Amino acid sequence: MKEIEEYSIIVDDVYKTFNVYLDKANTIKEKLLFLFSRNRKQKRVVLEGIHTKIKKGEVVALIGTNGSGKSTLLKLMTKIIYPNKGKITTQGKLTSLLELGAGFHPDFSGRENIYFNASIFGLTRKEIDERIEDIIEFSELRPFIDNPVRTYSSGMYMRLAFSVAINVDADILLIDEILSVGDEHFQNKCFEKMLELKKQGKTMVFVTHSMESVKKLCDRTIWLYNGKIRMDGNTKEIVEEYVKETR
Amino acid sequence: MLNVFKDLYKYRELLKTNVKKEIRGKYKNSFLGVLWSFLNPLLQIAVYAIVFQLILKNPQENYAVFICCGLIPWTFFSSAITRSAFTMVENGNIIKKVYFPREILPISIVSSEAVNFLISTIIIIAFVLFGGVGISQYIIFYPLVLVAQYILLIAISLIVSSISVYVRDLQHLIGVALQLFFYATPIVYAADVIPAEFKWILNINPMTYIINAYRDIFYHHTMIDFVPLLLLIGGSLIGCIVGYLIFNKLQKGFAEQL
Repeated sequence: MKEIEEYSIIVDDVYKTFNVYLDKANTIKEKLLFLFSRNRKQKRVVLEGIHTKIKKGEVVALIGTNGSGKSTLLKLMTKIIYPNKGKITTQGKLTSLLELGAGFHPDFSGRENIYFNASIFGLTRKEIDERIEDIIEFSELRPFIDNPVRTYSSGMYMRLAFSVAINVDADILLIDEILSVGDEHFQNKCFEKMLELKKQGKTMVFVTHSMESVKKLCDRTIWLYNGKIRMDGNTKEIVEEYVKETR
Repeated sequence: MLNVFKDLYKYRELLKTNVKKEIRGKYKNSFLGVLWSFLNPLLQIAVYAIVFQLILKNPQENYAVFICCGLIPWTFFSSAITRSAFTMVENGNIIKKVYFPREILPISIVSSEAVNFLISTIIIIAFVLFGGVGISQYIIFYPLVLVAQYILLIAISLIVSSISVYVRDLQHLIGVALQLFFYATPIVYAADVIPAEFKWILNINPMTYIINAYRDIFYHHTMIDFVPLLLLIGGSLIGCIVGYLIFNKLQKGFAEQL
């Protein structure tokens, strides 16, 4: 029992394969036709026997080249997709910042979208009411908050989305390549917020290609290579190895 | 199983905003707006009254009222199912990016249609009042029938919404199937005009009991048949469990299929 409480995320021997359809059969007619021409489907193994445990309060970076399975692993942790084999258990409230602004409605105002977006993260009306000031404050969008979101620039859009996600108050944060939100001022602000959340003891998993932020933020790094864990451990050593290898 | 309700309770705000969005979005871009939710059934009733009363000489007394009591609950039934078939594809964008209990989507479709139906009940009441039928004390059983229909629809929409992700044809098939279903339900005719050898079709159709119950309340002013209605509720609850099991199995592949 004690072991379960200690860990935020347990990834137990996880396999994930995607069926890549060269031509996708969606209708019955196509499915019938495709019965006779079999080889339109390819299996692509994305993750092979991933085995890792992430402790409470740990800040972990997932690094690796494109297609190494980082984002897939993150999606599996969020339960957007499910593994073919193996099991993933998470402890505590989980928020993923995979793609910002999912479900933003362009015709609704910034404020309405905060309510809608936060409710997707599982917050109740009361909880959103308590946080709305912080969210608006953090986004620095107060003058525009009652305008429809379609009038926002893409930077403003991302700022709003990030502010909602970061204020959800989750125990586990999964973050995919989004430290490049907005201008430099806002990026620094996000970084500060991450450090603050780290101090509060949140568990965080980053997927990123920016070795600079990995070194500054994460204690532990997992290097994925072709769907397998190549190295796992102290950030400094692994980043060094990784940079050497990919140069 | 208990976790389902815990999850749904946790995400109740999402369910609420979703239902609101569905209702608000429905008539947003049409000129007459909310008026359509009244005009549409009225025009439909007019069409059936012309065809079956004036041309085919249906002898039913107060035929327009008779149709109205069947047609409006039917609209609730058919539009909830039709829209369930499309909801996953429409929301594919969010499904692929964020985790939330997927069953929120079909449930909010059925709930928003239930609210629409509640509003449309005004039409039924207007018809019985101005059609000279009046209102009886049996109206207190109206919520019970509504609950029965709601549970039945939840079960169906869980199944329809999840399967239609994998088999897109279902969206087209459902339109035809519902049309067939419409004539297999005593809406434009009374159940007792059906010849004995075809009676079984009505007997196995759950909507028969629902429409009959609404009609007992609003048109015949008689006590509703409790036994079939309670059996229906029981059956629908089992249907919900089966539907949820199917849904839960299929939802794991949603993000990859959409």
